[in-house]
Parts: sequence; structure tokens; C-alpha cells
Amino acid sequence: MKSNPTVLAPGYRFKAWLTAKRMIGRLLASLALGAVLFVFAFPLLWMCSYSLRSTDLPSPIQFELFVLPLAWDNYARVLNTLPLTRYLWNSVLVVGAAVPLTLIAASWAGLALTQVSARVRVALLLMSIALLLVPAPALWLPRFILYTRLGWINTLFALIAPALMGSSPFYVIMFYIAFARVPIDLIESAQLEGANLLQVWSRVALPLARPTLVAVAVLSFVFYWSNFIDPFLYLRSEANFTLPVGIQTLQAVMRSNWPLLMAAAVMMAAPVLVVFLLAQRLFLQGEITLARWLR
Amino acid sequence: MRWKSRSRLQPYLLLAPYLLGVSVLVFAPMLLTVVLSFTDYDIFNPPQWIGLDNYAQFFQDTRFQLALLNSLWFVLGTVAFRGIGALSLALALNRTGRAITLARATIYLPSIIPEVAYALIWLLILNPAYGPLNLALRTLGLPTFPWLQTELTARISVVVMAGFELGEGFVVMLAALQMIPHEVLEAAALDGASRVQRLRTILLPLLVPSLLLLAFRDTALSFQDSFVPALITTETGPYYATYFLPHHILSQAIGLFRYGYGAAMTVVMYVVGALLIGLQYRVLRRGNAADEI
Repeated sequence: MKSNPTVLAPGYRFKAWLTAKRMIGRLLASLALGAVLFVFAFPLLWMCSYSLRSTDLPSPIQFELFVLPLAWDNYARVLNTLPLTRYLWNSVLVVGAAVPLTLIAASWAGLALTQVSARVRVALLLMSIALLLVPAPALWLPRFILYTRLGWINTLFALIAPALMGSSPFYVIMFYIAFARVPIDLIESAQLEGANLLQVWSRVALPLARPTLVAVAVLSFVFYWSNFIDPFLYLRSEANFTLPVGIQTLQAVMRSNWPLLMAAAVMMAAPVLVVFLLAQRLFLQGEITLARWLR
Repeated sequence: MRWKSRSRLQPYLLLAPYLLGVSVLVFAPMLLTVVLSFTDYDIFNPPQWIGLDNYAQFFQDTRFQLALLNSLWFVLGTVAFRGIGALSLALALNRTGRAITLARATIYLPSIIPEVAYALIWLLILNPAYGPLNLALRTLGLPTFPWLQTELTARISVVVMAGFELGEGFVVMLAALQMIPHEVLEAAALDGASRVQRLRTILLPLLVPSLLLLAFRDTALSFQDSFVPALITTETGPYYATYFLPHHILSQAIGLFRYGYGAAMTVVMYVVGALLIGLQYRVLRRGNAADEI
């Protein structure tokens, strides 16, 4: 697409006009991109700005992003006005139990898949992929019946239970792919030295699959921290609520106190956003995204 | 010999939690759903076999018909919104640079916020009196709408809300674009193909497998993605305009103790999901074939 110098030779003015045109085009493209990005950032931006709006102010009558002075005490107030610390503690319990369990169950299954016969491996991998297309709501009702029978309704067990199967077949597949790259000699020599598969897992396989370990830890943390459906379905008493359902209850109680509601939303979103910023490269490189998306 | 037999058993011991968990939490529930769909079951008393009565009920239950129809347009709307959005953003941001990295992270933001917080933010954004959207429209002298209070705008709102959560599809499309060899595009450019021609004849056909993956997964996910936003923002209204299949299943089963009927509707969800995936497969495959000719 280069311009032909012999044709354009007469006069630099035409060239100047071309560069100007290109610059205007680039400027317009940047502006359009900026507008799109503003739209994508807006929900988060508005959540933060509204959480700092004084509750003494009347509702806004015109568009304003920040109103000074910023009401930082909204955060202290929301912590005092509801059993948020209780919800927070329950959320921490669930995440603290579910993430390690997920890592253990998924990595065990992933390592085992490298050790079974080819026929079994293919069958199990195909099964795992098929499981990814089952819509989650299709399991809500039968799991509700199951948990009722097991007496798990209104306990945190109901929220942690999926961790026992590694939370998602895709995490198992991720670990399988990571372990399949470990040189077979390393595993075999460890086994010849008398190590059982559990020792191979902890001493040889896991240390070599650290990126996958981090990725699955991040993903399962985000999932269990944000999970609203399971506590909504299986928990009854407020004492057991985790943050997401707790905040939904809060919304029903103080319908129009938006600054405090947004402060609560910021507090719930903050850990996930921090993890996202820290693991940003992982998310945007695709591997982790693919996993989250196929959960 | 002892070592051999031990090593053959060991993998299955490590597989046990996964296989047991999948059996108890996925396969058994699915089987249970199919069996219970032929029964009358209130969870307190043993289920009574009633054959196809639950399925016959669909023809009288107008709310079920409405919920099914709503779920269908929601799935089609969000899958299309996310697919087109993810593809065009990936095409626009398939470059390098610090600003581009920042832009990619920004596009991901709506997808990473916990869904309750995300729905609450939208409830505020779409507030008719003091939500920023209407405030901005008023400042610009444009007409404002009670977004969540009329049927059409409520429906558009829930689709758009879910549609912006396209970060994951965006990264998948970006990865797919980066896997296309540069030489192919450069050769086409040298042959004088315009940008649009290159997109239509080279990029899109090469992207069909990724688009299919995207559409399949979004279809399976969208049954879930319809539940929370509608529950929190529109409260499934106005007049059941955003009342979806999962809402009806839960309100009939857990609310009215009609577990057998809920199970039958869950079976419908399986079937609809499978049909939609099959349909997308055919449409995208055909589009691809037509372009190759």
C-alpha cells in the first residue's frame, strides 16, 4: 500500500495532507477505543465513586462522578450495620477449605490420568469434556434433594462439596496436561527408588507444575469467593451466610441506601480484583481464561 | 511383582475422589432428575409414578411456556452479543503496546466482578430517577427510560448486562487470532484483498472452530447467567418479562414442593441446550462451507 513516489513527486503538500489524514484517523480510532473502554470500566468506576458518596446528600439530579468531601466512613459504617464480619468469616471458611481440597483432588486425578492405560485415559478425558457442557442449573434441583437427604442443607458442607471432585473437570484436564509434560524418566526413577504415587505427586510432579497450581488456585478462589447460587439455594439461617448472599439480604433491608450498598459491593469485589491484578498476565494470556470459562 | 500390582492400583486410588465426586454430584443427580420427572414427588413422601403427566402439564402451564420462550431469546441474545462483541474487540486489540495491555485488562473487568456485586451496580446504573445512565441522557437532552420497569427495556437490559461479561470469550478470540499465521494475511493483502474481504474470506473461516467453542459454552452458561441478574435487578418482572426457566423450576420445586414437575422442566433444559448447540453447529458449519466455495 506504499505510495508511489513518482506519482506523488509534485509537492510535499499532498504528503502532509496524507499524514494529517492518517493522524486524524488514528485519533478517531483512539477516541472510539477510549469510549468503548470507558463503558467497560464504568460499572466498577461507578461502584467505587458511589461508595464514597455521603449518605447525607440527597440523590443526585445530574451526572457527577465524585462529590467532595469523600465519605470514607461509609466503609466503617457498613461493617457496623450488619453482621458482615460473620459473613466474611463464613466466606473465608469456605474458600479456605474448598481451594486446597480442589488443588488436591484435581491434581491427584490429573497425575493418575498420566499413569493409567491409554484406553482408560481417553475415556475419562472425553467424559470430562462432556461434563463441561452440562448447564449448572440442571444440577440445582437434584443436588438440593441430595443435600436434603444427606442433612447438608444449611451447612457449609453443601458449598464445599464440589471441591471433593476437584470443582471442575477442566481443572483435572489442566493438571493432566501439565503432568503429561513431566519427563517420564523422573517419575519412573522415583518409583524405582521405592516412592509410591503419592510421594511422586508431592516430591516430583507438583513442584514441576507450579504455574498450573497457581492458575487453578486463582480460579477456584475467584469461583468460591463469588459463588452466590449455592449459598442462595442451600443455606437457610443468616448465621451461615457467606458474603454474596449476605449482601443480597442487605440489599433487601436497605433498599435505597446506595452508598453503603456500594461500599459492601466494593468490599466483596476487592479480593477478586486484587487477585486479578496480580495474576493479570495469566488471565490475559489465555490459559487461565480458558479454564475459567470452561468451568 | 508386588511393586507392579501396587503401581497398577495406585492411579485409581488417586482418581477415586474425582470419580466418586463426579458420580455423586453430577451423574447421580442427572439420573435422578430423569427418573423423578416421571413421578409426583414432594420430598417428604416417596415419589409416585405418574408416567408422562408432568410433561403433559407443560401444555397447560402458561408460565412455563413464557419462561421457556424467555430463556430462548436470552440465550440467543447473549450468545450473539458476546460472540460479536468478543470478535470485534479481539480484532481491534490484536496489536501490542502498553495501552493495548491496559485496554485488554479493562475489557475483562465486568467478567471478574462477583455476580451479585455486578448485578447491584447495574440496578443502580439503571435506576430511573438517579441512575447515571438516565442522568447522563438528561444532561445531553436525550429522552430517558424507566429501564427495568417496561418489558422491552427490561429484556434488553438483562441481555446487555450479561453481554458485557465477555472477557473470557474475548481472550479466547484473541488467542485464536494470534494463532493465524501472518503470511496468510500478508499474501492476501498483496493480492489486493481489501480489509473486509480479508475478514470475510480468510479470518472468519479460520475462526469458526473458536467461535463454535465460544457459542457452545456460552449456551450452556447462559441458563445460569440469566438467573442472578434477573433475580436482583428486575426481580423477574415486569409482568414476568424476565422470568426464566431456572426461576420457574426453583419456584415450582422448592417453593411449591413439586419436585417431580421441576425435574421434568430440568429435562427440558437438557434437551433445549443440546438442540441449541446442535443448531449453532449446523449454522456456523454451513456459513463456513459457503465461504470456502
